[in-house]
Amino acid sequence: MGKEYIGEFEELVLLLIVMLKDDAYGLAIRKALKTQANRTVTIGAVHGTVNRLESKGFIRSSLGGATELRGGRRKRLFTITAAGKRALQKSRDVKVNLWNQIPELAINKL
Amino acid sequence: MMKTQNPIPPKLADQLLAWLCRGDLMEEILGDLHQYYKELPEKPKWKRSLIYWFHVLHFLRPFAIKKSYRSNYTIMFRHNFKIAWRNLLKNKSYSMLNILGLAIGMACSILILLWVQHELSYDRFHTNASYIYRLSCNSGDFRTAVSPAGLAGGLRRELPEVSATVRLTHQYSALFEVDNRKFQEKRIFYADSNFLDMFTFPLIAGNASTALDRADGIVITAATARKYFGNEMALGKMIRMNNGVNFTVTGVLENIPSNSHLQFDIILPMSYLGKTDSNLINETWDNFNYYTYIQLSGNVPDTDSKRADLLEKISRVYKAHESELDISFNLQPLADIHLYSNLQIDLSGHGNVQYVNIFFGVSLLILVVACINFMNLATARSVPRAKEVGLRKVVGARRNQLIGQFLGESLIISFLSLGIAVSIVCIMLPAFNEISGKQLVISFLDGKLLMWLITIALITGFLSGSYPALFLSGFKPVNMMKAKMKFGGSNLFFRNSLVVIQFAVSVLLLVGTIVVYNQLNFIKNKSLGFDKENLLYIPMTGDLYSKREALETALQQNTLTSNYTIISDLPAQLITGTINVQWEGKDPDDQTVIPSIDVDENFIDVFQVQVTAGRGFSKAFTTDGSNYIINEKAMQIMGMTPDKVIGSRLSFNDSEGSIIGVVKDFNFKPLQYAIEPLVLRFNKRFRIVVVRTPPNSTENVIAALEKIHHRLNPDYPFAYNFVDKDLENQYRGEQQMGTIFNLFALLAIFISCLGLYGLSAYTAEQRTREIGIRKVLGASTFSLVNFLSRDFLKLVTLSLLIATPLSWHFMNEWLQDFAYRAEISWWMFAVAGVATLILTILTVSYQVVSVALMNPVKSLRSG
Repeated sequence: MGKEYIGEFEELVLLLIVMLKDDAYGLAIRKALKTQANRTVTIGAVHGTVNRLESKGFIRSSLGGATELRGGRRKRLFTITAAGKRALQKSRDVKVNLWNQIPELAINKL
Repeated sequence: MMKTQNPIPPKLADQLLAWLCRGDLMEEILGDLHQYYKELPEKPKWKRSLIYWFHVLHFLRPFAIKKSYRSNYTIMFRHNFKIAWRNLLKNKSYSMLNILGLAIGMACSILILLWVQHELSYDRFHTNASYIYRLSCNSGDFRTAVSPAGLAGGLRRELPEVSATVRLTHQYSALFEVDNRKFQEKRIFYADSNFLDMFTFPLIAGNASTALDRADGIVITAATARKYFGNEMALGKMIRMNNGVNFTVTGVLENIPSNSHLQFDIILPMSYLGKTDSNLINETWDNFNYYTYIQLSGNVPDTDSKRADLLEKISRVYKAHESELDISFNLQPLADIHLYSNLQIDLSGHGNVQYVNIFFGVSLLILVVACINFMNLATARSVPRAKEVGLRKVVGARRNQLIGQFLGESLIISFLSLGIAVSIVCIMLPAFNEISGKQLVISFLDGKLLMWLITIALITGFLSGSYPALFLSGFKPVNMMKAKMKFGGSNLFFRNSLVVIQFAVSVLLLVGTIVVYNQLNFIKNKSLGFDKENLLYIPMTGDLYSKREALETALQQNTLTSNYTIISDLPAQLITGTINVQWEGKDPDDQTVIPSIDVDENFIDVFQVQVTAGRGFSKAFTTDGSNYIINEKAMQIMGMTPDKVIGSRLSFNDSEGSIIGVVKDFNFKPLQYAIEPLVLRFNKRFRIVVVRTPPNSTENVIAALEKIHHRLNPDYPFAYNFVDKDLENQYRGEQQMGTIFNLFALLAIFISCLGLYGLSAYTAEQRTREIGIRKVLGASTFSLVNFLSRDFLKLVTLSLLIATPLSWHFMNEWLQDFAYRAEISWWMFAVAGVATLILTILTVSYQVVSVALMNPVKSLRSG
């Protein structure tokens, strides 16, 4: 599992799951995407991504409480796994490392 | 958060999800969706539903959709598909024969169906098509498509049922000029001003209801507009006709669809013709010159009695205006004109419903032949597959599963063939259009066509797969697993009867081909009573008319053109006739319509018509201007003998004269019609110069005529034509049908042979070992070939016996349409029979000979 890479959107979702702590389910992630990253996606896209993340082993899920709003259906709540944390860390390290190697001038020139 | 009273998301969307999405994901998906829906800000319900649907449809992603391979059903489906595919590949040559035969058969059927569909679609595109009728007038057996000028107005005024009428002339030709460029146009109609209201040909520019109102307006088609004005806007531009009159373009029509019985390039207003035409000015009731279309308001006479009622009313109106003539009427529904019209003095280019039926039948027969091929090969090849079926049964396959498997296999093949067939059609369509003279297109956006195609494939698949499916699935597994089980009896009988049917169809088509070909040849070569070869004609346009004497002098001076005659109508284009003919002793009830041609003194010599009594016209007799020559048929109708008829009085259209000669009957109308009576008048009207060209100098004659024409008539382009070409053109429809028929007959035979080839190859293969043993025991190659092909020859002979009476019956029916026919004779059947037998022998022996020549060591060693 350790060799799995994560994409940009996956990384974003993963971070949001960490941020949302105990209330990270599909629709909440979608809302957070909008407020935090100004990204509007379909609900299906969020579900697709968490599904992929779960199969890669970066998150695990459990069924949470049901509300009337959901017609008595339970939420699927996601939490990050150790592998997920490692992947996030690795992704950040790679980027930070890269940023550090670029002289400031080169960026300003862009 | 706002909440509406009853926020329930669209149920259908949920059902779709439940149907397609993985069950284990459903709870969270639906939960999220419902929560989302309820949290949506206040919006109209439809907007919220739309948003909901949008999200639901976005759940149709790979991760969420049910993984179907888990079900047993799909495993079997995939398995069957795989087996079918492997079977196809395993026997490549058989599969090729199967698919190719089926594809060719389907391609034929599709082509024919396209043609049939086109024929049936004529004139249905007009908005009020079902309310429009054409009025046809009959005088006894002389049934015409034309009616008098006054009738249209009379009916409109006096019958409340008739809401509109349109009169149309026959096709005129005229010279048009735009910016000093000249165009000779031949497809011109004069039409009443409401023409475009009744016939809703779409306009590109101009106003349909006013375009033909002014007498100097002209409506042209898009193609004509392009020819005259290029890309410029045509509306409002000036066009000059016949070097004198100016017209202003008041409308541009889209090009006339090929499925319109009215084909034209230009429409001119009837009111222009009405300035000079006495029939129009006086609204005459006894001169039949116009095609009259009536539009009925509301109630269409859909029953015979209603129709008879309406016709009765029309008759009454007519009688009130014209009591002398005994005319009966008929109403042709607009959509029927193309296929059901069989009238004289009609527009050209009509189809024939008989051909539509014949071709529809042929297309079905070809499809049947192709299906039989498939069935036969599949049945023959079922023996090796019996073991497979046995094993399946032992493992627990139920009968309907097996049937499904085999039907599925044949459906795969039929759809594969359909694909190939459609490509064949796409490739062949231009050639087919060339032959049939149509502009057919195949459009895959046409839902109806797609439905047809899929239906054809389904029917073919089911039909051809049904026998193997039912046959193979019905055996007891024990028998099937015993390797050497014997198929005989019903299987063989079935196969043989299929071959017989197939070849009977082929022979039927072959005989049809021969009869059609023979009949067309007969018509082409039939002696018409005048010599149609080497007759060249030019129409007298523009100034030629007024310079007749100068023209004649010029023609006489050149030996190339000195053999000329000036006449009013060409035999092939004669469309006039009158019942106003009186002679001594005429039965007052006699309503015979007698056509006439106006000729000069050279006519009889130039056309080489025989004079059987009296003499021809001559300038030497000053009274000939009021004298007549009649044909033998006319003499017979008058009830006279040659010695009595000469000198007797005849009044034609109220001008009296005496008969000075009788000519032998000649065919002045297409050969569909028997010879009618004819009166020749001397120099009354003249429109056409006909020159008999000396042998091998046609080019020079044309050059000489062109020179004369340029000198005397410089403003008009020179145009010429040949009488025999014109005559041939009259049978173009028949010729085209003949060619198509031949083509498809040959294809049907080819497909049959393809099947026979496969079957014989199979038999030969099956009996390889038997043949080996026979050879070892001393059988000669010839006797082996003879022995192996005998069975097939028997079948083909049987099919000959069946097909002969059938084809005789059908072709005899077809021939009834011709007044002159080449009767069917025994040699046609003989030729068809021998050809089929030879083809059979060739097809069968190809495989059989190779097996018979095989070294017996090889065939006996294997296995």
